[in-house]
Amino acid sequence: MNRKWMIWMVMATLLTFLYGCPKKKPATPPSDLNVETTTVPASPSTPPPAQDVQQPATPEVNDQTEDLLKSADLQVVNDELKRRGFSPDIYFDYDEATLSDDTRDKLSRNADLLKSQAQFSMTLEGHADSRGTNEYNLALGERRANAVKQYLGSLGVGADRMRTLSYGKERPVCTEEVESCWSQNRRVHMIITGRSNVG
Amino acid sequence: MKPRFAILTVLLSCLLLAGLVLSAQQTPPPQELQPGQPPGQVTITLDRGGAQPRKIKLAFPAFRSLGQLTGAGGAVRELEETVRRDLDVSGYFEIQGPDALSGLSLTGDVQKDLVAYRSTGNEVLLLGDLRVEGEKLVFEGRVLDLGSGQAVLAKRYSGPFSVSRRMAHTFADEVIRFLVGKKGIALSEIAYTSDRGGSKEIYVMDYDGENPRKITGHRSTSMSPAWSPNGGSIAYTSFFNGGPGLYLADLGSGRKRPIITSGSLNTSPSFAPDGGRVAFARSFDGNVEIVVTDLSGGNLRRLTNSNAIETNPAWSPKGGEIAFTSSRAGNPHIYLMDSEGANQRRITYDGTYNDGASWNPEGDLIAYTSRRDGQFQIAVTNVVTLESRVLTSGPGENQSPTFSPDGRKIAFTSSRGGGKQIYVMDLDGGNVRQLTTEGSNDLADWSRSVPER
Repeated sequence: MNRKWMIWMVMATLLTFLYGCPKKKPATPPSDLNVETTTVPASPSTPPPAQDVQQPATPEVNDQTEDLLKSADLQVVNDELKRRGFSPDIYFDYDEATLSDDTRDKLSRNADLLKSQAQFSMTLEGHADSRGTNEYNLALGERRANAVKQYLGSLGVGADRMRTLSYGKERPVCTEEVESCWSQNRRVHMIITGRSNVG
Repeated sequence: MKPRFAILTVLLSCLLLAGLVLSAQQTPPPQELQPGQPPGQVTITLDRGGAQPRKIKLAFPAFRSLGQLTGAGGAVRELEETVRRDLDVSGYFEIQGPDALSGLSLTGDVQKDLVAYRSTGNEVLLLGDLRVEGEKLVFEGRVLDLGSGQAVLAKRYSGPFSVSRRMAHTFADEVIRFLVGKKGIALSEIAYTSDRGGSKEIYVMDYDGENPRKITGHRSTSMSPAWSPNGGSIAYTSFFNGGPGLYLADLGSGRKRPIITSGSLNTSPSFAPDGGRVAFARSFDGNVEIVVTDLSGGNLRRLTNSNAIETNPAWSPKGGEIAFTSSRAGNPHIYLMDSEGANQRRITYDGTYNDGASWNPEGDLIAYTSRRDGQFQIAVTNVVTLESRVLTSGPGENQSPTFSPDGRKIAFTSSRGGGKQIYVMDLDGGNVRQLTTEGSNDLADWSRSVPER
C-alpha cells in the first residue's frame, strides 16, 4: 500500500512542521490530534487535564492573560474576567427579586471564575427601574443584590468576599420611560472591587 | 296628683326637652372678632362637610415709607409683598390690597378713614410704616379693629435690610396668632433633595420657596431629609461613603456626622418627637426592616420581622405610633404599629402601591403616595376611620407628601410641569403653587415648628 504510506509521510511531515517547530512549545502528544477544536470557551469551568502540564497553544496570549488579572487596575481585571465569560449584569422581572434559569446559568459560570480567583472580592450593586418610589426601590435593589449573593454563596463563593450595595433607582443606565429601558435597570451589577493577598 | 299640677309638669318637661334638643343642634356661632380673644377651634375634617370658619376681611393699604429710604427700596417692597402673601396664602383672610382700595377716597388720617375702609366690608385694617435708621430698616406694623377703631396689635422690628423677609414672616405669624388664635407657618422651612448642582444634595428653603440654601456638599447621592423636632438638625441618607448610610447635619454649625453606617443599607430616617431617637430602614442580610436607634446608632431595636420589604417609617407627632410601608400583602401598603413594634395593622386598601407616609400635626391624618389607575397621586387617610381621599390628579405624577406644621397644607413632588418640582396645596387639593424651579427637586420634609437656631 504505497499510497497509504505516502499519505502518512506527508501528514507526519506537516504535523511535525506545525507542532514541532516553535521552540518554546513542546510537542503535543499524538493523541491530541483527535481532540475536538474548541471555540473560545463560554464556560471556563473545565479544568485542564491533569496530565497536561504544558502551556496552551499561544504563549503570548497566555502570559498576557495572567498579567491582566494581576493588573493593579481593577477595570482591567473586570474586563478580563468578562472576556473569560463572567456576566457582570443579570436581570429581573418587574418588582421581583427572583432568579431566572438563565440567570442561574450565568451565575454558575461567575461562581466558577470567582472560586478560581479567590484573591478577588466583589460588590453586588442592586438596582431598580424608575417606576416605584425612591425609598421602596432602595429596598428592592437590596433584595436583588442579596438574592444573587445568596445564590453565589450556595455555589461555594465565600460570603466574606461579596458585599451588597443597593442604589435603588439612583443610578440608572438609561432614562427613557419605556420597557426597553426599564428592563435594563432592573439588574444586579457585579464588579471586582478589591484584591487580597490570598491565592 | 292634681290635674293642673300634672299638666304644668308635663309642659315644663316638654320645654326642658325642647331646650336640650335645640342646644344640641345649635351650630357654633360665626366668628366674632374680639380683640385678644381667639375664636373657636378650626376643624378640618376629611369630609369637608364640617362648618368652615369664614375668612376675616382685612384691608391692606400700601405701607408708608417715612423719610429717606436710600438703598432700602427693594427691601421695603419685599417686606410689604411678603406680609401680604403670607396672610393671603394662610387662607384665613380676604384681603383688599392697594388696588382694591384705590376706589376709596382716603385722607391719610387713619381715624378719619375708618369709615371708608369699613364701607367695603373690612373688619380689620393692617398698616405698615417703614423707615431707615442708619444701616437698619425699622418696620412698624399695626392692626386696627375697624369696628372700634382701636389698635389691637402693634409691633416694631429693626434689623439689616437683608432680614426684611424674616421681619415680614415674623409679623405675619403675629397677625395670625392674634386674630385667628393659631400658629402661623411663615417662619417654617422645607428640607428637600435637589440635583441642581450636579449631584443629589440636601437643601432647605423657606416655606414659600424663597431663600434656597445648600446643606450638604458630599458630591454623591444624598437624599430623604428628615427634620429633628426642634428644627436644629436634619437626618438624611447618603452614599458618599459607599453604601447608603444615615447622617446628621447640624444646621447651626454646618457639621455632619454619621448616625449609622454599619451593614449594607440604612435609609429613610424619621425622628421620634423627643428628638433622641430615629426610626429607619435597615438591611438584615437583604431583608429590609424597620429599626430604632439613638442618634449615635446605638441601642438598636428591631421593630419588624417579615419576609417582605419594610421601609419608610414615619413617627407619629405624639410618639405613640410609627407608620411604615410593607409589601407583606403582595404590594407596598401603609401600616401602623406602636412605637415598640406591636399591633401592626394595615391602613391602606385602595391603590396598588402606597408608600411615603407623612403625619399631620394632630396625628389623625396620614398623607402618602398612592398609585391609582397606574399613576402616582397624593392620598390622605384618616387613621381612625380609615376613610381615604385622593387629592391630586394628572397630568404627570404626584409623590412624597409632607404636611405643613399647622396641618392645613401639603407640600409634594409633581411632574406636572415636565421635570420633578416641589409644589404646595391646601388640604382639599386646591390652591396649588409651585415652590421650586431649578433642577430636579423631590423628597420634601416640612419642619414642624419655628426652627430653634
